[in-house]
Amino acid sequence: MTQTDRRRSNPSRWLMVCLGGVVILSSVLLANGGLRFDLSSEGTDTGRKPTGYPQLVSVEPLPEVAMGGELCAPAPSPVRLAAALRQERLTAQSPSAAVADRRGSGALNRPPVRVIRDPYPTYSAVAVDPKNNEIVLQDENLFQLMVYDRLTNTPATARLSEPKRIISGHDTKVEFNCAIYIDPKTGDLYSVNNDTLDTMTVFSRNQRNNAHPARELSTPHRTYGIAVDEAREEMFLTVQDPPMVVVYNKYAKGQDKPLRVLRGNGTGLEDPHGIGLDTKNGWMFVANYGNVAAHPDGGGNSLPGRGYGEMLPGSGRYEPPSITVYPIQASGDTRPLRVIEGADTQLNWPAHISLDEEHGEVYVANDGTDAILVFRVTDSGNVAPARVLKGPKTQIQNPTGVYVDTVNNELVVANMGNHRATVYPRTAQGDTPPIRTIRTAADGTPALQIGNPGAVAYDSKRDELLVPN
Amino acid sequence: MHDIRYNEARDEFYVNNPFAQAVLTFRGGADGQEAPIRVIQGPKTKLISADTVEIDTTNNEIVVPQGDEVLVFPMMANGDVAPIRIVRGGAKMGWKSGGGVAVDPVHNLLVTDGTVEVEGEGWRTSYRGGRDSILVFDRTANGEVKPLRVIRGPKTGIQGIRQMQVLPKGGWIVITQITDGGIAEPEGTFVGVWSINDNGDVPPRWKIDGKGNNVMKKPRGVALDAKHKEVIVSDMRLNAVLTFYFPEIF
Repeated sequence: MTQTDRRRSNPSRWLMVCLGGVVILSSVLLANGGLRFDLSSEGTDTGRKPTGYPQLVSVEPLPEVAMGGELCAPAPSPVRLAAALRQERLTAQSPSAAVADRRGSGALNRPPVRVIRDPYPTYSAVAVDPKNNEIVLQDENLFQLMVYDRLTNTPATARLSEPKRIISGHDTKVEFNCAIYIDPKTGDLYSVNNDTLDTMTVFSRNQRNNAHPARELSTPHRTYGIAVDEAREEMFLTVQDPPMVVVYNKYAKGQDKPLRVLRGNGTGLEDPHGIGLDTKNGWMFVANYGNVAAHPDGGGNSLPGRGYGEMLPGSGRYEPPSITVYPIQASGDTRPLRVIEGADTQLNWPAHISLDEEHGEVYVANDGTDAILVFRVTDSGNVAPARVLKGPKTQIQNPTGVYVDTVNNELVVANMGNHRATVYPRTAQGDTPPIRTIRTAADGTPALQIGNPGAVAYDSKRDELLVPN
Repeated sequence: MHDIRYNEARDEFYVNNPFAQAVLTFRGGADGQEAPIRVIQGPKTKLISADTVEIDTTNNEIVVPQGDEVLVFPMMANGDVAPIRIVRGGAKMGWKSGGGVAVDPVHNLLVTDGTVEVEGEGWRTSYRGGRDSILVFDRTANGEVKPLRVIRGPKTGIQGIRQMQVLPKGGWIVITQITDGGIAEPEGTFVGVWSINDNGDVPPRWKIDGKGNNVMKKPRGVALDAKHKEVIVSDMRLNAVLTFYFPEIF
């Protein structure tokens, strides 16, 4: 029986699935608990020609469900919805609920037919422990901290390098781990989670595998960057939105409140990411993506309420990426002392930054251009970087983490785009190859870069999947 | 980004930027640092969160839920454009949207997740994010409106829906449930399917639980591939995309 034959056999039981205005509907009937479309003969043929516009694609049967004529019915009265929504009443009164109950709930034991997943670590952040001669890398793909000997160098023929220890697993409370700080005295690892768990975790040097954190601190949603002023024992965290810098006691734990908050419409904080401190000059540097909206309270030295509802409607805008500079003790709605911003800066998705107080330089992991940019701590405005490390020989690809190791005079980069961390002389610039590489997958293995996939779409034209991160 | 939609007729895809309160339209084949071809942003838009987005390819509209309201824009809107309709809830109408959204242009329905106010009990909800219900509206609703139907209650298992789709052919609502994103590997996650005609405390017609052999742990996004009878799921614990053969709904 062809589709047309079936439609003729029982025209009232067929529902036209239409994606456009090509088909003419002569009437729509709501009767006897069923929805019926009475079709004209014109335009219901199965043949279709490409028009570039939506058109009839198929004619299908109505599902066997009780409709009760309620489809598209207007709300009947001004009585508060709540009264009509008592679950007991709904269950008792709704015919469709009864139908569903008879059918039961089918829990399917069904593995996926295909899985797209990167099985290898992807480095999002890096820090160096010169005292213990270690490099610590955040793996934001598999949610783990990986500790390597500082001089690890994966041979070209090797598949990967093994870390000295790994902190990973459910009990670690590590998820979307985006930043790392190493206590120079104790070697404790401070791990920042960007999304979901809203917790900063601290692990001691002895911890490994699926260990409970030695200490936890509840942090604002969307915390990203970390820097510590060791002399004052203050810990600085950036928060993407509402955009702010929250400053805690370095040893804060649990639900401890911040000592101060830099937040407000005048701060120039615009989706802040990396943060670095110049304690010698008393400056705080923040890298901003440029996404921003205004907040009705203007700002203040306190945490705002959680959620987007704090934004002023329609105030959103795109600003150029920037590095904003503040007094290190800034709080409330404080304007920046200086702003590094403009086309000459080459800033494009500036992620983590690292401060070299000794040489007066700011290192920026510039994700959007596969480069490390170096500015002077005194730079301001639309200024070109003092140095740019970029090019195919560098192996830098989607760098989000950077650390300048002034003890060993080296620069370490965490690359999200190619399963590797790369090490250079501190002053390297141009298309300079790394002096060492820590690789987590065979050379040439693509990094899928699926990170926190909040949604998915199917491109039916190209037979492709679209995954936002 | 917490949503993305593809429009085959126009060969475009649509994403949101909540921090900049914008809805962006890109060419279907966009690649690299390509600029969007249209941006909805500005004071007239009334956008607050722009956290999720849905498109109605039949009526050429873009739909953005945000808390107490759902904004509807013309598909071709560009710049500082006012919504053509605003579906309003809040305390007066007794509902809030959680952010999940889908449009059924055949049955003329707008579906969102969220929660409802129960008389005498306020915004009581079984889920801290308030996302314990599926709300079904007339697609053309405008102004202060109550939902036509609400799927809610312990039998539904709903607590924390994220992306939604509607399959008009069978009249199915397909959702991913992450439950509590603040838990690394929460219990009760699933991909669930309800009928657009379901109402009240009804369990999903089918579901794939986030455990065991199903591989899935923390499903957040969902898309439908009718041609291959597949449901595609993004999983934020696995940082993965899983494809399930699901002929029951196609």
